[in-house]
Amino acid sequence: MALEILYWLQDVREHLRVSRRRQALRRPGHGFDYTADQDTVRRVVSRLHPRRMRLRVTQVIQETPTARTFRFERTDGPLPPFRAGQYVNVFVDVDGVLTSRPYSIASAPPLSSPQAGGREALELTVRDKPDGFVAPYLLNEVRVGDELETTGPAGSFYYEPLIDGNDLVFLAGGSGITPFMSIIRDTLGRGEVTSPLHSPLHSPLHSPLHPPLHMHLLYGSRTPDDVICGDELTELAASHPNLDYALVISEPLPGYEGLTGFLDADLIREQVGRVLGKTFYICGPNVMVDFCLAALTELGVPRHKIKRELYGPPADVTQEPGWPEGLSAGTVFSVAVEGRESIQAPAGEPLLNSLERYGIVVPAVCRAGECSACRIRLLSGQVFMPAHTGLRESDRQYGYIHTCVSYPLTDLRLRL
Amino acid sequence: MTPKYDVIVIGAGLGGLSAATMLARNGLGVLLLERHNVPGGYATSFVRGRYEFEIALHELSGIGPPERPASLYRYLDDLGVADKVEFIRLPNLYRAVFPDLDITLPVGQEAFEAKLCHTFPHEAKGIRRFMQRVFDLRGDFIKIARQRGAGNPLTMPLRLPHFFRYLPTTWGSVLNRDVRDPRARALLSQYWGYYGLPPSKVSFLYFAMGLATYVKQGPVFPKGRSQALSNAFLATFEELGGEARMNCGAQQITTANGRVTGVITDEGQEIAADWIVSNADPITTCRDLIGRDKVPSSFFTRLQSSEVAASTVNVYLGVARSLEELGLTEHEIFINPDDDFDRHARGMRVIAPPEAISVTCYNAVYPEVSPPGTSVVVLTALMYGEPWVEVPPVEYVETKNRIGDAMIRQAETIAPGLREYAEVVEVSTPLTNMHYAGTMGGSIYGFSQPPRDNVVWRMGHRGPLDGLTFAGAWTQPGGGFETSMTSGQMAGGAILSKLKKMRREA
Repeated sequence: MALEILYWLQDVREHLRVSRRRQALRRPGHGFDYTADQDTVRRVVSRLHPRRMRLRVTQVIQETPTARTFRFERTDGPLPPFRAGQYVNVFVDVDGVLTSRPYSIASAPPLSSPQAGGREALELTVRDKPDGFVAPYLLNEVRVGDELETTGPAGSFYYEPLIDGNDLVFLAGGSGITPFMSIIRDTLGRGEVTSPLHSPLHSPLHSPLHPPLHMHLLYGSRTPDDVICGDELTELAASHPNLDYALVISEPLPGYEGLTGFLDADLIREQVGRVLGKTFYICGPNVMVDFCLAALTELGVPRHKIKRELYGPPADVTQEPGWPEGLSAGTVFSVAVEGRESIQAPAGEPLLNSLERYGIVVPAVCRAGECSACRIRLLSGQVFMPAHTGLRESDRQYGYIHTCVSYPLTDLRLRL
Repeated sequence: MTPKYDVIVIGAGLGGLSAATMLARNGLGVLLLERHNVPGGYATSFVRGRYEFEIALHELSGIGPPERPASLYRYLDDLGVADKVEFIRLPNLYRAVFPDLDITLPVGQEAFEAKLCHTFPHEAKGIRRFMQRVFDLRGDFIKIARQRGAGNPLTMPLRLPHFFRYLPTTWGSVLNRDVRDPRARALLSQYWGYYGLPPSKVSFLYFAMGLATYVKQGPVFPKGRSQALSNAFLATFEELGGEARMNCGAQQITTANGRVTGVITDEGQEIAADWIVSNADPITTCRDLIGRDKVPSSFFTRLQSSEVAASTVNVYLGVARSLEELGLTEHEIFINPDDDFDRHARGMRVIAPPEAISVTCYNAVYPEVSPPGTSVVVLTALMYGEPWVEVPPVEYVETKNRIGDAMIRQAETIAPGLREYAEVVEVSTPLTNMHYAGTMGGSIYGFSQPPRDNVVWRMGHRGPLDGLTFAGAWTQPGGGFETSMTSGQMAGGAILSKLKKMRREA
């Protein structure tokens, strides 16, 4: 009891102490001075994650008869760091339609000095597409000196040293080579062959436990003429023991001597040997990605060791599993957008594109269903979204849709 | 020109959502602005591959069992939010792992105390005495809630003796008198990360109220993750006639004659309103959105005694193995290298592998949180934002991965295979929190919570200019999910009572 009274007195005395402490901190020159800085959060965040970037074309390189690489410099700030393999979404105005398309960055991310040489630029490689809307515009209209607006770098298709191990197999199809170019250029350009996580700089674990990073690129292309960066890859493979490179041509001319066919299970087995302990990365057209996924599954590669770049919207959504039978791509529905006029949208086109056609711009980044930037509320009606759409559990319940991969199945009412 | 809106709420964090919904419920015309594309602030989720990750919520308090709904649930019910959310009750508070002790503490006052007393029989008397203090304080809080305020401060020591006495104390100073065994002290203080400061620094009021609530009512988790709660708020808000704009931040708060008059959005649109509720932090609100020269300097002088609280590093793992296969059975697991929480807390100030982490296993809440045979595991460590702000951008990824790597290694001491079977990993840092929530230092609890910034002495809701009100963790009652929602309720209440007074005077 006596002790409790003593404690009580101690606690009550604390009232004074805390009050004195508070007053002391509020004296001039003491405590936390929040007026010393300005715009702290925005400034710090924009260095790493700019919402938008202005990029000026400094060079255009003809890679193949149908593909060009645009080299850019950023005009509204330094190039932010990114993970080799990430993309930017490029905003364009094609004949009055404000739209955008994501392109993987082909160049390596900026490095700290003194290795920085040549890494202040950002490169995007664009290949012409039959029925393309944006690619032809970029290839035909954009010249040196022009400026484009893009999002900051985004995406999660990159080498992740935390879980990906040291033995990497890259399966590229056509222009799907670009993210791998960034990863290869980055890894080899750093002049280090170990995984960055275990570099001697940071960890005493640089040991036989963490052998050098090995990359094996299998590049599938229709013809040798279509190969992007072929010479550079051949040279890099010849001078770096940790890069193996195999080109596989699917439509060879008579007399072609290299590997031919598709990136199927036999070819992958023959090229990379044991699949255990390796991490596989796939980037290319949706058909090729599905084909490679099946091949890897056949080879016994566990699902968690396969990474694939996002599918864009399907080339023909009516072929997707779950598409209602008998509904043709050309069926047109009326879409009422709250506060705006109604628009006409065909079943076979992503809603985002239809909205853009009518001058209604919805924020977009990945245009592949995953990032949720274009998430809006469906008030009534029904849309089709492919199974892999990265919709939140609760968003589904409340009728949110990702417009970039949503296709109208009925007349709709939307809230932006 | 008459403003179109009675109130503009800046930020759809839980504080903003709560204030906006309660004001709309009371008939006011409310516009809610949010810079991000989803509502919720830290109460959101994100998708990677076939996994959806909870951003921040570990355990929600204030809901209570269905037969005895607690205060937060009753508030959500009044608003019309509660029906829209399924709350899943958790049977245990946490599993605490030390090198030589691995113990899980259950919900329920008797079960909780019995487990501790059984583990530390030589401390049983002290533990019981200490828990009595915790619940005595809770009794005073219940009295305050019933009479809607603490009443006359002069008679407070007699009417609310426990509340008055513990007001200026720290958790550690009270605990250390009753309990001597450092391990028993540590077990009772295991939730320290939920309050952002170690036992020797954190306000007794915060810790005791939090622990008492968890022990008594049991923690819950919303099905659909905290995003379900945020979406439910937004849906209710819109049903009540509120207007919400995502992807639309405020770049400026306009003023005239010492009163706020409206906002200018990121896109440059000017919108007028009689009242502004800012769910952005008070520093950014007053210094950057209003402008330092338009705010009385006494406001910043007052803030000199308030420190921006800690932020977090999280490692979000989608794993192609079930929790059982990983050996993870409890929802919330704390891994401690030893009892020295003060040392662990000092480590929060530097960029170094954290001493202690929590391992949160969401499939233990409900299995469908990820596809069959997989699990979602999130590792969390507290860290202050300041050292991260200094990291050169080109070194950022390597820096965060170095910390993430150490955290995964630590988690693997109880969950071997976590790395090997990981399919997706994402490391967030204080800078990530700054990016998505826009808060100073990426703070997760607003201002830190020592006795001098406790629930009573913390910044209130009234801003330094007429018409400006704050909601969120930075204000009363403080940091946390439940408290953020309560702050919105209080901020809304402040506006309503002011309106009532104005009407009476008119």
